[in-house]
Amino acid sequence: MSDLNQKIKEVIIKALELEDITPADIVDNAPLFGEGENSLGLDSIDALELGIAIKENFGVSFSVVNEETKKHFASVNALAAYISANSPS
Amino acid sequence: MKSVAGKVIFAALSVLYPALVFCGLVFWDISPRRLSLLLIGLAFVLFFNTTQGRRNAAGGAGTVQGNGAATAGGEGAANSLKDYALVVLMLACGGVSFFADSLLFLEFYPVLVSLSLLAFFGISLWKKPSFAFRMACLGDRRVATSPERAFVERYCDRVTLAWCGFFVFNATVATFTVFVGDSRIWSLYNGLISYILIGLFFAIEWTIRKMMQKKMHSYIPVCALERDSRPSDMVVCFDGDSVRTWADFTDDVSKVRRYLEARENTPWIIHCEDSYYFMVGLLAMLQGGRKALVTANRQEAFIKEIQKPGYGFLTDEPFAGATLIQDVLKDTESDGRWNTFDKNSAAMVMYTSGTTGEPKMVPKMFCQFENELFELVKVFGDGWVNRKVYSTVNHHHIYGLLFTVLLPTATGLPYRRHRIDYPSELVSLSGEAAVIASSPAYLKRLAADAEQPIPFKTTPIIYSSGGPLPEEVARKCEGITGYWTTEIYGSTETGGIAYRQSKNGPIWKPFEVCKMSIGENDCLNVKSSYILEPEGFTTGDLVEIYDDGRFLLKGRADSIVKIEEKRISLPEVEARLKQTGLVQDVRVVPMVGKRQYLAAAIVLNAEGRDKFKDQPKLEINNFFKAHLAQYLENTVTPKKWRYMEELPQDTQGKIKMRDIQAMFNLPESKNFKILKMHREPGALSLKLVFPADSDFYDGHFPAFKLLPAIAQVDMVAVFAHALLETPRAVQKIQRTKFSYPVLPDAVTNLEMTYKAESNKVLFTYTNEAGRMLSTGTLLMQAAT
Repeated sequence: MSDLNQKIKEVIIKALELEDITPADIVDNAPLFGEGENSLGLDSIDALELGIAIKENFGVSFSVVNEETKKHFASVNALAAYISANSPS
Repeated sequence: MKSVAGKVIFAALSVLYPALVFCGLVFWDISPRRLSLLLIGLAFVLFFNTTQGRRNAAGGAGTVQGNGAATAGGEGAANSLKDYALVVLMLACGGVSFFADSLLFLEFYPVLVSLSLLAFFGISLWKKPSFAFRMACLGDRRVATSPERAFVERYCDRVTLAWCGFFVFNATVATFTVFVGDSRIWSLYNGLISYILIGLFFAIEWTIRKMMQKKMHSYIPVCALERDSRPSDMVVCFDGDSVRTWADFTDDVSKVRRYLEARENTPWIIHCEDSYYFMVGLLAMLQGGRKALVTANRQEAFIKEIQKPGYGFLTDEPFAGATLIQDVLKDTESDGRWNTFDKNSAAMVMYTSGTTGEPKMVPKMFCQFENELFELVKVFGDGWVNRKVYSTVNHHHIYGLLFTVLLPTATGLPYRRHRIDYPSELVSLSGEAAVIASSPAYLKRLAADAEQPIPFKTTPIIYSSGGPLPEEVARKCEGITGYWTTEIYGSTETGGIAYRQSKNGPIWKPFEVCKMSIGENDCLNVKSSYILEPEGFTTGDLVEIYDDGRFLLKGRADSIVKIEEKRISLPEVEARLKQTGLVQDVRVVPMVGKRQYLAAAIVLNAEGRDKFKDQPKLEINNFFKAHLAQYLENTVTPKKWRYMEELPQDTQGKIKMRDIQAMFNLPESKNFKILKMHREPGALSLKLVFPADSDFYDGHFPAFKLLPAIAQVDMVAVFAHALLETPRAVQKIQRTKFSYPVLPDAVTNLEMTYKAESNKVLFTYTNEAGRMLSTGTLLMQAAT
């Protein structure tokens, strides 16, 4: 679990070219988007980028964008859960 | 001709009237009845003159009146009316004297003359220009078109008013002498004392006028300066105790000119750091009909680019293939030649400093500068009299050119040959009456550095141009110097457009000759006597123009950008960041990478530095992001942040978007921090820190960390590639010397220049005390 989380964090930082942030700075259950405690403050353009990066790195795609997918992007933990559940391997 | 003779007779008889009447009565024993014929005769002469004058006017031959000055139609009518009234009064007085054979009414004539003159002067005050000003214009035709016109006119109006007062007095005394009943007293006053008083009045006015002229500047257009326009010992410029006089100047100009004329080259590039050499060279080129290309940038690559075949290059610092002006002055005999030149055919070229884009060539005719000088002297000239001119700016750019060399030359004020570089130097001017042409870059440093007010004996006059001067900086500078800086708004293409002092708010007052309108993209369009294009020039500045012509600048048009389809005004984001009260200076720039985003370069103020002391950068970013989140969508919230000691700028202190973008294109790294960055084409200067936790120190003397030589070289290559656009790879390291270690967390300066033709990067690391740490040359891999 924590290995996957670490990997996800690295993908986020690399794909979104985030500066001044290390994987350690991203809180596992904090929101990735919007405001709120420890939120990463990503925006809708970042979401698109991140979707592509997740697909490239983990082979998991988000074919339909709906309220459901938004939930999967809620936090690193949520993403990890979704990736583990849908991973082809 | 008849009317002229009539006027002469009338004037002569009027002046002699008291004497004639007195002699007639006392010596020639003529009765008042007969003497009254003189008055009646005079009335007829005046009547004849007046009708003649009116007929001439009606005939369209020019409304020339007895006084010889051109007059407006309405005023001509008023004066005719006055003259007819005088004729009637004279006839009445003459008639009464004739029939009553009485002296009393004969003696009223001087009173009538005084009242008539009072009416005449009064009418000219009412229907301007006043009589005295008309006389001044007749005496010196240049007055009407000179920048001092308003000053002279104000003075002349006062003189005219004083004459009116005199005539009231004279008429009163003359009336009194009539009723005293002694024709000796009457003729003594009206025939002698009154005239002496008039003479005395003239003498006093002349003395006052001379005193006033001392308070006026002696403006002469640069193109119209003659060899003897100034006293030969007048100080043209100074440097410490040494001065150059007007005689030296005219001599030096003729030497350089002789040199230039012996050469085939017609266009000449000129770059002289010394203002005096610059002005000598420039005037020699203009007088000799050589086109002058004025460049602030003397990087080899740039000179090579603009020096077409047949172009000369005159400079005062050694430069391969260039003419050194000091050599010319030493080796050439002056032939004494000096002449005025045609401002409409003297051509020049200026280069923009490129606030928003690449440096651009701007052709200029000298008349554009002359016309602007005229306007500047008109608006500011009165304050400059008897002052010395100092500069903190480069005279190769338009504002410096106008304010620090052309204006002093046109107004005969001495200027200092070298720029003031450091705020601390200003203290040494406290004993001088100074005009200081400065810029926001200098004044910001002054505001930050000066600890206490400078005790100026005479409050200096300070100008600032090149970019907006923040109100708080202007306020601080007022505290230090006692003067609210006058800001000039303009550009290389337009010259000066408007001016303001922030104490009166942010609104700009245009120069009188500048006509404002809203052009393309809601940007300010300017037409003026110093913009040659009839359609004017449209700036890149958004503007709101008020009914009275004054205007408010609302940021640059290119300051509105689209980030992923969302429109955002960069100044708005900057203003929001400043709102935190923690930011001294900030620029937000649009960036394009995988996506479009904004990046913010911030200089924290004292409160900000205190608040974020020892906090990780991420915390600072998050603080500002949280603040902006209250106002902005997160798409337009800056994604990248840099906290610096000073915003990236060129050596002029101009902050350019592309410099900041170049810095952001260099990804943030834990291996180095850029605190300051000065960039010019081909030259870069960085103030850096290599933090103790950087990767560079790993495995390299863990007990005594120092920056490995290879890391130093690699950093040079990284910066040169990112900021000077050199190839990335190093082919060969040459002549490298590592004298002292570069220590972790120590402030280190890195200077480098790139010579494109040899593909070499020269670098020097120095520590904060200026000690050289290492130096060398990198031959870069040829670009593929």
